[in-house]
Amino acid sequence: MEIVNELKKDSLKRILAQGKRADGRQMLDYRKATLQQNAIPNAEGSALCHLGNTQVLAGIKFDVATPFADRPTEGVLSTNAELVPLASSTFEPGPPSPASIELARVVDRGIRSSNCIDLKSFALEEGKVLALYIDLYVLDYDGNLFDAASLAAMSALLCTRMPKIEEGKLIRKESTGKLPLSTKTVTCTFAKVDSTKLLDPSLDEEQGMDGRITIATTPQHVCAVQKGGWGAFTQKDILELVDISFDKAKGLRSILQ
Amino acid sequence: MANSIVLPGQMVSDKPARLPYCYVENNKTYATVLSLLSDDGRLVPLCGPYEPLLDDYVVSYVSEVRFSGYNININCPANAYLSGREVAQKLTVGDVLYARISAVDEIKSVELNDARLLRGGTIIEIAAAKVPRVIGKKNSMIGMISAATGCEIYVGRNGFIWVSSKGNQKLAADTIRMVEAQAHITGLTDRIKAHLDAHKAAASPAAQN
Amino acid sequence: MEKPQLIIDGKRADGRALDELRPIKITAHVLNGADGSALVEWGNNKVLAGVYGPRECIPRHDASPYRAVVRCRYTMAPFCSLEEHGRSGPNRRSHELSKVIREAFENVVISEAYPRTQIDVYMEVLQSDGGTRCAAITAAAVALADAGIPMKDLVCAVAVGKIDGLVAVDFSKDEDNYGESDMPIAIAPRNGDVLLFQMDGNLTREELSAAMEMAYKASAKISELQAAALKAVYDGPKKEAHLVLGDKFNSQ
Repeated sequence: MEIVNELKKDSLKRILAQGKRADGRQMLDYRKATLQQNAIPNAEGSALCHLGNTQVLAGIKFDVATPFADRPTEGVLSTNAELVPLASSTFEPGPPSPASIELARVVDRGIRSSNCIDLKSFALEEGKVLALYIDLYVLDYDGNLFDAASLAAMSALLCTRMPKIEEGKLIRKESTGKLPLSTKTVTCTFAKVDSTKLLDPSLDEEQGMDGRITIATTPQHVCAVQKGGWGAFTQKDILELVDISFDKAKGLRSILQ
Repeated sequence: MANSIVLPGQMVSDKPARLPYCYVENNKTYATVLSLLSDDGRLVPLCGPYEPLLDDYVVSYVSEVRFSGYNININCPANAYLSGREVAQKLTVGDVLYARISAVDEIKSVELNDARLLRGGTIIEIAAAKVPRVIGKKNSMIGMISAATGCEIYVGRNGFIWVSSKGNQKLAADTIRMVEAQAHITGLTDRIKAHLDAHKAAASPAAQN
Repeated sequence: MEKPQLIIDGKRADGRALDELRPIKITAHVLNGADGSALVEWGNNKVLAGVYGPRECIPRHDASPYRAVVRCRYTMAPFCSLEEHGRSGPNRRSHELSKVIREAFENVVISEAYPRTQIDVYMEVLQSDGGTRCAAITAAAVALADAGIPMKDLVCAVAVGKIDGLVAVDFSKDEDNYGESDMPIAIAPRNGDVLLFQMDGNLTREELSAAMEMAYKASAKISELQAAALKAVYDGPKKEAHLVLGDKFNSQ
């Protein structure tokens, strides 16, 4: 597997040196992004995101839970990612891998720090709050899971129905309306190969890249960043990519409804 | 389409026939894989893993250097072996080879010989079942793609295809993928020819290099 | 919860006759990464199956010099049910189902063709509404064929049993929960061999026999849908795999 990566890296660098990408995209083009909401009607909210050949499903569930001791009046937000073994020959069944934990935590940070969900409104009574679970199911892996998972999660939240609550119990079959969201978080992930920066890396590009950076934004703020891989970014790189992220996020936000 | 699609378990003959991709039960013959039934009663698989056969030429790469030879990835569950005596130069991990299968045993251990080193270029992976269409009758298809794109192309029976970086590599790769996707539909050669003509005309001189 | 009435005026709560299946939609080749894949939407169930292999058997001491090792993994997504958030990964129930499903496929997969390898069959229940193991087996068989794994037959499965005193086929969640007996059966349609057979509850010998008859009738229909799904992949150019699940599309 690793050897194939080395071969792919060589041919990736040769193509990039000519100022092109293997699939014909420009350096700062996204692949086609599609969102299908209510993919899983049993869940309180759900969406399937296609980003090129990457397919990620997000499901939202509510439960009643005990709040964290340091935040007794706030609801619980919990994000988990599964690299489902049917998505790639490199995903193995078993306990969560570091990659799946990183994916879940980066998506979580973008949503949490934007304060798009008012967790204070999830307080029910003394010692009881609502818990909102975001489950990210990676079903087909062709690179850039961060952006595909973030889009799926945000799209699922946008169609999430609030369950009716009676005497501290959830009545799931009845809804009191949609989950209120104050803003939309969008992430943009870039790969760096030598000095070239690419938006929305495909799997081949990820396998040949030196470094990666994910920038989550709301229309006003940068709300989460994660740099990965051994390759370095310069200060100038990062500021430039932040500007591009704000700009590219507009297009993605328009499909988040 | 003249050929009909058969499914695993479907009867292909009410007589016992020892055919590839078939099994015989109660004197009747049934298909084992999703395939096309050709006019002469043989099955042509539509998908599935590569089956190493004696004298097949494969595109492969060195996955491990051993004391007296090399372990070679030929797109099979197990690596093939190439003796060091078969190649003039020292190979390293990742070197791409075009080689002949010189032996296969009953547990599918494979040995190679007549290896040629391929430098630069890229490997495209396609379904091994579609390789005969990529080659075409007497190399007609691959010859046409190679001539139109200016690329040197080596087609391995194992589904790995090596395309040189000299020439319009992207057009060659896209065209090979198009052959793979449409291999089961008649009139393939004409469509591929039209595709190549359309893109050759559109390509700028810069893209040719 | 109080037991709902399952049969009203000879029809079931969702309007079906006793021997009537829920609507079933099968789509083959929905994933790009997997060697073979299929989605089965069966009533409100949505089950995705993916197949990898034959590939190198890991760990090596599990490999057999005679045949490929078939591995099956059936799991339920944490968001699949109408009830509370579930746990990810397999539990005791899914371990048992994975085992009996594997044994069913060991009967039809021609594993002798690939000694020292493994074939992985992954089944993910994305949405559940009763009968998920039958939908999973039906999906896995199509995924195996889509991967080009040699098989003696395409397996399909359906549950039969008894609700409100009457023998019926293909139970919804409520019928499963409040019925008297549930009997999932996997069948090789070519020769009628029973490859998976589980049962709980109470049935007389006559009821069991009648239920099995019903299962065979239903399986013929399911196997037609499996065949059509596989043929549809090659109806025109083979397309990039694309899963379709939702009711609303937004794209950029």
